Amino acid sequence: MENWEVEQGFDGGTPSEEGAAGQERDRIPEGPAPEPGAQSREAPFPGRELYLNVRVLVVMMTAFVMLFTFVARIIVVSGPSMENTLWGGDLILVWSLGYTPEQGDVVVLTQESYQEDSIVKRVIATGGQQVDIDYNSGSVKVDGTALEEPYIKEQMLVPGYGEGINHVIVPEGCIFVMGDNRNHSADSRYPSIGIVDNRCVIGRGMLVLFPLTHWKGL
Amino acid sequence: MDVKRKQKFGGRSWLICALAAGLCAAALRKWQLASAFEAGTGLSVPWAPASVILTCVLVMSGAWFIILAMYQPLSRRPNTAGGAQRWDLAFLDAGDAVYPVLVVASSFLAVAASVALFPLGLRQWQEYQTAVAAELQPPSTNGVLTIATAAGALAAFLGLLQMGRDGLRPGRRGRGGYAAALPGVAGCVWLMESFRAHAANPVLWDYVPLLLAIVCGMLFFMDFAGMSAGTSKPRRLLWMAAMTLVLSIQAMVSAAAERTWGDVLLLSAQLLAAAAVLWRLPPNLENPPPINGTPIPPVQGEASIQEESTYE
Repeated sequence: MENWEVEQGFDGGTPSEEGAAGQERDRIPEGPAPEPGAQSREAPFPGRELYLNVRVLVVMMTAFVMLFTFVARIIVVSGPSMENTLWGGDLILVWSLGYTPEQGDVVVLTQESYQEDSIVKRVIATGGQQVDIDYNSGSVKVDGTALEEPYIKEQMLVPGYGEGINHVIVPEGCIFVMGDNRNHSADSRYPSIGIVDNRCVIGRGMLVLFPLTHWKGL
Repeated sequence: MDVKRKQKFGGRSWLICALAAGLCAAALRKWQLASAFEAGTGLSVPWAPASVILTCVLVMSGAWFIILAMYQPLSRRPNTAGGAQRWDLAFLDAGDAVYPVLVVASSFLAVAASVALFPLGLRQWQEYQTAVAAELQPPSTNGVLTIATAAGALAAFLGLLQMGRDGLRPGRRGRGGYAAALPGVAGCVWLMESFRAHAANPVLWDYVPLLLAIVCGMLFFMDFAGMSAGTSKPRRLLWMAAMTLVLSIQAMVSAAAERTWGDVLLLSAQLLAAAAVLWRLPPNLENPPPINGTPIPPVQGEASIQEESTYE
């Protein structure tokens, strides 16, 4: 390393910029360093507290984003497809870490063939199960057994786009999802959504956080 | 190899290792983009070799930099009249133009990012307002965070410019390095914007490399600022700088593939700043520049490790 000298010590600015008092305060004294016990109690770092507070904010921001990325998210529900379980504007907590979809779970997923934003639906069947939708009786059968569905809003009718996908064996690694508001829901029956790959699932809805009047587990 | 050359190589080993690891990670990321995502759906292939090897390389890089940090020699910093250690002077070397040149170049990349992001944000804002006025489904972004990121990039420009200046002529005690907090804080907005843009994306591999690069860059800049605030962690700063460089290079590969030029420019800016620190800091920690002609003797043993502030 080159040996060099700082012409005016380690003073930062010029006298005209910072004043002689500032230079005197900042000058590095020559000679041996003072003993640790002899250190001044006068704060040598102006703005240190501000820096520490800003650092806490930055670290918290980092922690929040990492938490929301890998562990859990908070998502706002939009639209009526999950009424009466979820309402438009509800804020829900979604658990992502190590989640594998199971029948009956409320899940948040993104099916890009339908739209780029995520959607909230209920898992009706998982990989290997057979789904049969009977619009005459308004029932959904999984592996031949009619589901008891106290959560649906009203009797299911034939959707405007036709019966869509209504008899299917769900491939392994996929799920069949439907909205609780069956007559106002674009879900796995709708061809552009269809059977959903497990990897499209962001996580499971755990709690309605807000509004407080809707507070409940899912 | 004589002692001087050995010292020089030892001082540059951080930069050499970080660049090697970064280029390796970038090549793996390129391979991953080509092979680890299903055509059509874009979903990630579980346990794809490229993803596994990339993860291993990043983890091993982190571990290797921990080892380098553990063996990084540290000399006592010059003391102020108050007794506190002037770690912010650890970047000073008036005889070397590489550090200020890299940091000033980094600052201009930040301002270029700002120029790229402002029109994009304004366009997103206009599209959003048009959709709302027409009572159509609005786009997923209203452009506010993009505009805020552009403003943050402008703040980062000022901070980086000050950091470059301080490399040649340090600012007054405890002030110079604070400028590094500006890019760190600006990174918060950038992080929020990047997360929001991918919040509905179930494929973590699409955006986690970018988020990690931003996070590492933020923490790197905050540690840099900490060198002037009595909270010096020189070894951690070196580790952060090295990981910022590695993660930024590999995140740039995907950002360039997606043509998100604002991200590419911001990643380049933090990459250059990290490279500058890796260039200047290790030699200065090992062999500090003399003050007023008086060399600073290295202190052997534990007493030489001044990781924490000596002001308390």
